[in-house]
Amino acid sequence: MKLLIIEDNEDLLQNIRTYLKREGYICEFARDYRVAFDKVMSYTYDVVLIDIMIPGGSGLQVLRELKSVNPQTGTIIISAKNALDDKVKGLELGADDYITKPFQLPELHARIKAVNRRNQRDGREIINVNEIAINTDTMEVTVNGTAVDLTPKEYDLILYFASNKNHVLSKQTIAEHLWGDYVDHLTNLDFVYQHIKNLRKKLEKAGAQNYIESVYGIGYKFKVNNRP
Amino acid sequence: MKLINKFILIYLVVTVIVLGIGGYISFFVIKGELDNELKWRFMDRIDRVTYLLEKGKDFKSEKLKGSGDRNLIIQQLPQKVAPETVIKDTMVWHDRLQQMEPNLKVSAYRTVEDTSYFISTYGALVETDDITEAVIQILLWILGLQVIGAIGVGFIVSGRLFKPFRETLARIKRFNIQDREPILAKETSVEEFNDLNRFVEEMTRKAVKDYKNLKEFAENASHELQTPLSITKGKLELLTETDLTPEQYQYVEASQRSIKKLSRLSESLALLTKIENHEFTNKDKVNVTNLIRESTQAFEEFIKLNGLQVETDLEEEVFLQIHPVLADIMWTNLFQNAIKHNIENGRIRITLANDRLEISNTGKPLDMDTNVLFKRFKKADHGVDSIGLGLSIIEQIVDQNNYAISYDYEDGWHTINVRFHPESV
Repeated sequence: MKLLIIEDNEDLLQNIRTYLKREGYICEFARDYRVAFDKVMSYTYDVVLIDIMIPGGSGLQVLRELKSVNPQTGTIIISAKNALDDKVKGLELGADDYITKPFQLPELHARIKAVNRRNQRDGREIINVNEIAINTDTMEVTVNGTAVDLTPKEYDLILYFASNKNHVLSKQTIAEHLWGDYVDHLTNLDFVYQHIKNLRKKLEKAGAQNYIESVYGIGYKFKVNNRP
Repeated sequence: MKLINKFILIYLVVTVIVLGIGGYISFFVIKGELDNELKWRFMDRIDRVTYLLEKGKDFKSEKLKGSGDRNLIIQQLPQKVAPETVIKDTMVWHDRLQQMEPNLKVSAYRTVEDTSYFISTYGALVETDDITEAVIQILLWILGLQVIGAIGVGFIVSGRLFKPFRETLARIKRFNIQDREPILAKETSVEEFNDLNRFVEEMTRKAVKDYKNLKEFAENASHELQTPLSITKGKLELLTETDLTPEQYQYVEASQRSIKKLSRLSESLALLTKIENHEFTNKDKVNVTNLIRESTQAFEEFIKLNGLQVETDLEEEVFLQIHPVLADIMWTNLFQNAIKHNIENGRIRITLANDRLEISNTGKPLDMDTNVLFKRFKKADHGVDSIGLGLSIIEQIVDQNNYAISYDYEDGWHTINVRFHPESV
């Protein structure tokens, strides 16, 4: 997958690149409006991450221009503003997703994958992890061809794990992914464990290996040795 | 009271006072004039009698014949008396009116050819009552005309003269800082109004500018804070990918939580600023019944996880005129509060009616002054990982929509009550 990251902050850029590099993505970057404009006009990307506030112009302007030449490119807006009007404007301009700072890298990664999946219309809506197959179109999960009956939250969870294979995902990260800001109001994150326990049980019952590994009791890792 | 009415009222009060004093003075002036006139007439008469006596006229016979004035007394005195004139008021019996009437009596001693005479004449004075009556009548007429005049002038003044003033007032009322349009001064023919209009323009310009700055500052502050937080968060995530001991993991996790809290704090403050800046004024018809029903469903999992029981008593089709985002924030904050500050296996009670929303939850009593409950950063429950802005945000929304909010604790139940039409209670 070829990515363009439009972000003026060097550290943030490094974070994103370090995390995504491990997935074997080709990451290009632009630190200001001019470079961003040149790149989106000259090359095609699978997904472009756009920070709204960049030197020399607005990320929304880049989005507008990108959509005029390459409307099929997946786009995710990164904004510090949790402003509704910016969100609406961005999505109206054709952005596929909108993520607010401070975001979590696994979350960003999951969204990049989701956006990319949506934009690939060649039957790639099925994610395979060895014997497990996740159909993102019908939201069905099968193990060796046998359907596994999952709750919506459990489906979200397996998809999130599959998107962030071999990364440590903390309970907090998982909780935020599944419940968003509602998590703020819970002091006890034990319910994450409940969901994972149920998911693990269902997958194992269907004949899958146990990929979900506990990490020091802090978080979890979806450990897959041989990448498909 | 309208300015013009006040003006007319003051004018009329002053008129009444002036007319009162004027009437009092008029009474004495008129009375004095009339009395003087009578006095001079009597003096004149005495002079004439003296003159006639000097000419040798004999009044006695004529007087006896009754052809003369009955009120004229001429007496010849046995001895010579120095000439003297005495003027005094007396009461004289009036036959026809059958009562005593005030009279003026002028008596004089005159000497004509060595004989002294006592000449006296008297006559009825114009009665005080009559003068008073006349004066009051005149004053009432004047007052009546003044009232008509004042109201007439008032209408003209308020209609024509104050037109620019009323226009300016209307424009100030319509002024909305979010439009970011200052009230431009309109030229009028009255200097004071021009001054006012120019002042209003200057002031609104400044307000608009300050508002812009404030808004920008709030947004920038939030933005500037979120980026470094984002970086730190990312770095910590990358750190968890490296080989860490469980202890190190715990430190990372704690840092993550603090960052999350910091980020939420800045977001909440930005939200509070936005509400205070009146950025959510576009009101819409919001179905509160649906809002509550949907959100209780969204929270179902948390309710279950916390072992809570929710009882609802919702009136159907309750609509409010409010910005949809604010309605959502208000309700979500109220509900989350009820979940967060609850006890193990606690309960939540929600009552929605056309004019009020009440949410109660079981919980420990607060060990703080409940009057400051809605103040920023006042946390009742220090053990809970909250930032202390939730109730401030609720109060801000309540304020902006002219609702009323109150808190009560009774028998282990915390109750927050929001009344939608407090003025009608």
